[in-house]
Amino acid sequence: MSNLDLSKISLRPFKLSDVDDFLLWAGDDQVTQNLRWKTCGSREEALAFIRDVCIPHPWRRSICLDDRSIGFVSVYPWSGDDRCKADIGYAVAGDYWGQGIATKAVKMAVPQVFNDLSHLVRLQAFTSPQNKASQRVLEKAGFLKEGLLRKYTYFKGNIKDSIVFSFLSTDEFPHDD
Amino acid sequence: MMERDREESVDLAQISLRPLQLSDVDDLMVWTTDEKVPKFCTWEPYSSKDQGIDFIQNKACEFLWSRAICLHDRAIGFILMTSCSATDQSREKSVELGYVLGSKYWSKGIMTYVVKQVKKVAFREFPHLERLEALVDAENVGSQRVLEKAGFHREGVLRKYLFFKGKSRDMVIFSVLSTDLNHQD
Repeated sequence: MSNLDLSKISLRPFKLSDVDDFLLWAGDDQVTQNLRWKTCGSREEALAFIRDVCIPHPWRRSICLDDRSIGFVSVYPWSGDDRCKADIGYAVAGDYWGQGIATKAVKMAVPQVFNDLSHLVRLQAFTSPQNKASQRVLEKAGFLKEGLLRKYTYFKGNIKDSIVFSFLSTDEFPHDD
Repeated sequence: MMERDREESVDLAQISLRPLQLSDVDDLMVWTTDEKVPKFCTWEPYSSKDQGIDFIQNKACEFLWSRAICLHDRAIGFILMTSCSATDQSREKSVELGYVLGSKYWSKGIMTYVVKQVKKVAFREFPHLERLEALVDAENVGSQRVLEKAGFHREGVLRKYLFFKGKSRDMVIFSVLSTDLNHQD
């Protein structure tokens, strides 16, 4: 596997100065193919995206390696009567796949999110049935797979099935391996 | 409980669906004031006829589609569809089903009969509809049986998906797809 020291992975809010690192992964179709994000096509687009979306976001963190941005974790809470639940999403730069980084980042994010979002009871994630790597991230991070939702959502112009996972405020955090 | 211990069974041919009218208000008050009925609903039993009038005049028309469930043309319940895109723009091809029936009419096959019909109506009325779904409280076994008998697929349990009346609710999610219908009755 890898020699990457996962203790070098941290989460922090995005900064405008992340733009060049951000563009490396947010400008990569391989990374964005499973996200609702449009691939960033230019430095200007990346700057605008960080400024207008990432920074004002209710809960979005840059996944950093030695404080350089190599991905993100996002949690979007529902509003009103539905604020008991929130959706989590994440991505890591292609060069860093397969080293447990996303799993580490999600494991770090979950307790922080429950601490920061006071009404949150349920953190949920939706993955494509084809995206096995992302399903493994969630399983290793202690999420429970609840079911396959058929033709659940429109994704980049097509109706797709989704697998739904959840982590509750009452669930146990998995042990570190 | 044996079937013969219940009141007489209902002739399902006498069950019909039509829009809810103001003149249905007294019949509506029968099920909306019955504590057993909204047990798994977000709303509390009604305490005044004004609430019934308000529902018929102002709330019923807000649903994507709705009908009174009638026995001999008297309203005994209500069935509705809401668009999932109201809360999530990526879900415009999905519609959610909801229904309620007076408790006197439970366990007679009425709701299953009605849901089977409305299932077909949904895909006919909304030709671009891909997915009709329903969410049922995990403790509401009767309603889960209605959906299973009406041909819905049980996809899983969404833990603590909703919070109302002071507690978190596990919700069982069911669906039927437009493509499922081609293989059913």
